[in-house]
Amino acid sequence: MKFTYKPSPNYRNTQTTSGIMADLTLCLAAIVVFAAVYYGVAFGAAYGFRVIMMTLVSLAAALLTEAAYFKMRGYDVKKEILHSYGWVTALILTLITRLDVSYYALFVCTVVAIIIGKLVFGGFGQNIFNPAAFGEALIMNSFSGSKAAKVTADVFSGATPMAAMNSNGWILSSSAMSGLIKGFGGFGGMLVGTYPSVIGGSCALLILLCGAFLLWRKDIDWHLSVTYLITVFCLSLIVGLIKGAGFNYAVFNVMSGGVLFGTVFMMTDPVTTPITIPGRMVFAVGCAALTLILRWKSNLPDGVLFSILLMNMVTPAIDKLVDGNQIKNAGLIRKKVIYTSIVVLLAALGVGMTLEGVTPAKADNTPSGETAPASEPAGLAVEDFSENNTYCRVWSNTDPAAYVYKCSAKGFEGTNKATITVNADEGTITSITVDEFGDTVSVGDAAVADAELARYAGADLNSEIDATSGATFTSKSLRAMAAAALNMAAGD
Amino acid sequence: MFRETERVYTNMSILTGPMNHHLNGHKDLTKNKDVLKTIDPDQVWIPLVNGNAPCKACVSIGDEVKIGTKIAERNDHFYLPLFSPVSGTVTGVEKFMTSGMAQAEHLCITNDHKHEKVRAFEPFDYEKASWEEVLDFVRNAGMLGLGGAGFPTYVKYLKPENVELFIVNAVECEPYLTADYKNIEENIDLLRTGTLALFKLSKAAKGCVAIKEDKVEQIEALKKTFEGTPIEIRTVPDLYPMGWERTLVYQLTKKRYDKLPIEAGCILNNASTAIALGNAIDNGMPITHKYVTVSGDALNNPQNVYVPIGTRASVIIDAVGGYIEGTEDVLLIAGGPMMGKTIPNDKFVIMPQNNGLTVLVNRPKDEVKCLRCGRCTETCPSGLQPVRIQMSNAIFDEEELMKLSVMDCIECGMCTWICPSKIDVTENVRRAKNFVRTRMASRAKEAKK
Ligand code: SF4
Ligand code: SF4
Repeated sequence: MKFTYKPSPNYRNTQTTSGIMADLTLCLAAIVVFAAVYYGVAFGAAYGFRVIMMTLVSLAAALLTEAAYFKMRGYDVKKEILHSYGWVTALILTLITRLDVSYYALFVCTVVAIIIGKLVFGGFGQNIFNPAAFGEALIMNSFSGSKAAKVTADVFSGATPMAAMNSNGWILSSSAMSGLIKGFGGFGGMLVGTYPSVIGGSCALLILLCGAFLLWRKDIDWHLSVTYLITVFCLSLIVGLIKGAGFNYAVFNVMSGGVLFGTVFMMTDPVTTPITIPGRMVFAVGCAALTLILRWKSNLPDGVLFSILLMNMVTPAIDKLVDGNQIKNAGLIRKKVIYTSIVVLLAALGVGMTLEGVTPAKADNTPSGETAPASEPAGLAVEDFSENNTYCRVWSNTDPAAYVYKCSAKGFEGTNKATITVNADEGTITSITVDEFGDTVSVGDAAVADAELARYAGADLNSEIDATSGATFTSKSLRAMAAAALNMAAGD
Repeated sequence: MFRETERVYTNMSILTGPMNHHLNGHKDLTKNKDVLKTIDPDQVWIPLVNGNAPCKACVSIGDEVKIGTKIAERNDHFYLPLFSPVSGTVTGVEKFMTSGMAQAEHLCITNDHKHEKVRAFEPFDYEKASWEEVLDFVRNAGMLGLGGAGFPTYVKYLKPENVELFIVNAVECEPYLTADYKNIEENIDLLRTGTLALFKLSKAAKGCVAIKEDKVEQIEALKKTFEGTPIEIRTVPDLYPMGWERTLVYQLTKKRYDKLPIEAGCILNNASTAIALGNAIDNGMPITHKYVTVSGDALNNPQNVYVPIGTRASVIIDAVGGYIEGTEDVLLIAGGPMMGKTIPNDKFVIMPQNNGLTVLVNRPKDEVKCLRCGRCTETCPSGLQPVRIQMSNAIFDEEELMKLSVMDCIECGMCTWICPSKIDVTENVRRAKNFVRTRMASRAKEAKK
């Protein structure tokens, strides 16, 4: 008989890290399936297929990168891959990406997320940033142009909830808020997730079920997620009530964008969040405040991702803050948690108080009726606006003779926003006013001069509106918005 | 019949984890089986050591001894006599590894199997005796902490001031072990005697026997036994490490203390210690035998045994039926799997403070990197952050380690148990402790110079 020495204890819980990851994989797979079915049914089988393909592309990128890396370092490739959990990163990354991102961009970003987000730090367990969030940030910043054109046109002709709120400056009246929510099928629709957003971001109900499952399996700790959700809710409730957006504003803030997905699948990543419960509470409060501040004040599509990345950076500091014996220092730690939270919350509220809604600019009474002469004809219906990232949302659709849309589209270097009034009965544009000009001043602004804008009056989907000379990109963004508004009016 | 349970977890606030956990105790393996009492080894080896202090033999080679003959004593700042568990001849002294993994001299006694006894102590009436007399009796009877510490019992009672609660610890939270359970089952009257004597010694305002809420029948029996005495039966939840002094004191009084339970107004003793004292009072016999749980998944027939002190592990394992066919590599643990040490041979002998032999099949574990999940922090009953302690840059940084209160670790094993990545967290903390300890020792040396 061999008597082996092993240090005590020699008794272990049955829960394993690999088991936790397996549960997580199961949940993520369920969301992929949901997304494939939703996009397949709503937009056609090809889009459902695309969800699956994107997932596979990202998975392949992650596994190949890790295999190559471990091979190069001379490790046991199979064992290391199984212990590195790269596929979880790939799945999360895919689910927080929009369906219109090209395969190529997704592939490259997964590779970079795995290498720079994880492996250079020493692999699983050592990384500072959430690798999936890191990869997605890269897609948004470096590959924003790399879109699959057809998908953009079909799926994203309407705005995602985040874009809709962005175009309203993140605050609007309580009735407009209700209208906006109705645009996404009401809270019921938002719960089920029947609107396009990032691939895995819309189905609130399924995400919550996954969260409940993971909690039940004791795979994740509730402190962080619950604190985060409560903080997001309360902060936006206070701001919503003071600014007149109402209770719905708070519910909307929690249910839309990446809040639920992020809190269930990304903030529960233990590697990049604080170790102790007090630390996680501080993280949650900070993350919630940043999410809202970024939503309100930045040009980012959503604040969740970057709030996670920013909080990842301060995680070591938070760990230090609440260090020491958890029993003997309990009072001190509690104080630190409370004071830090109060400071952060006040800062967020302060920012929230500065919010101002986008006031619809008064339409200029431009004499109209004259259809633009076509020197270089390009019918709106056939022109390719896939580069423009066009968003439109309904502002008012009570009177078919004057449907109003809030639109935004990418121009040369920035984004232009406009309010477009359409006569739906006629299928023509009544007027177009520019709310926000994001292109180069004294170059692009030639295109938004009143006289130039007047040329859109009366235009229909088949009109050909030529570019203002010297301001081709800005013109194109205006045409993109016009086309989108007309398309929407035709559909309404 | 309802149980009065105190399901107040030792949870302090929303900001800390549970600091304990329910473990699968595997106690059904041995709990309902009879105790094997026929083991009568040809030779016993009595370790001449108590704690870190050596004991001096007071018999010489060739002497005849009987069960209950005093054979050795510890006589430094503490006094502790040792007694022969068998009758026979002293045949030698041998040095080998104890169940505490230290090399020590063992006094070998060859058993003549005649079972001749001498009454070691005169009949004693603790009720009539004065407090000093009881203390003397406990001291001379060689009572020591049978729960694992092996600390001379009388020392705790030297200055019992402001004691509010005297606790007999019958929790036995260590997985696999049922020796205390069996011992109480068979000797409940001795438990009564011993408990009341210790209660008198403690001068405490209240006394209680603490037991896990799932031992329903035993709770009933205890209630009956202690009817009409000032001793209450208090139940605690089935969590680990509920039997640890600090956790138990917090559970029962909601008080925490720094070094000794007396700071929180408590004195604790293990139930088997109380039974041993009862045996000394009623029958005049010292600690000669122990109830030992022999259990684990590598054994054919796990069960409790009642053996003389100094019986070799190999003898006991053979007596209960040996290893399961085909087992080649085992972990032989002196005690339960959480706190007990694995011993790399089966030559070691049962010491008074041993209450279990756990034999587990040695299975490879699939260790992955720490995912910083913090589970170890949440379950650590001392409130430490084992994960922060084991991080590579902290482990050799004394100042940092002190900030993380590394010396508060009691090596309960919870952090390793809970770790989903299967890291030997406790061992890493232990290493950090040793590092700090050597540093302190070398500084003390320097200061002396
Ligand atoms: S072994 Fe030490 S560090 Fe680990 S849980 Fe127990 S007391 Fe805490
Ligand atoms: S339980 Fe294990 S994996 Fe989790 S933080 Fe502690 S050492 Fe790391």
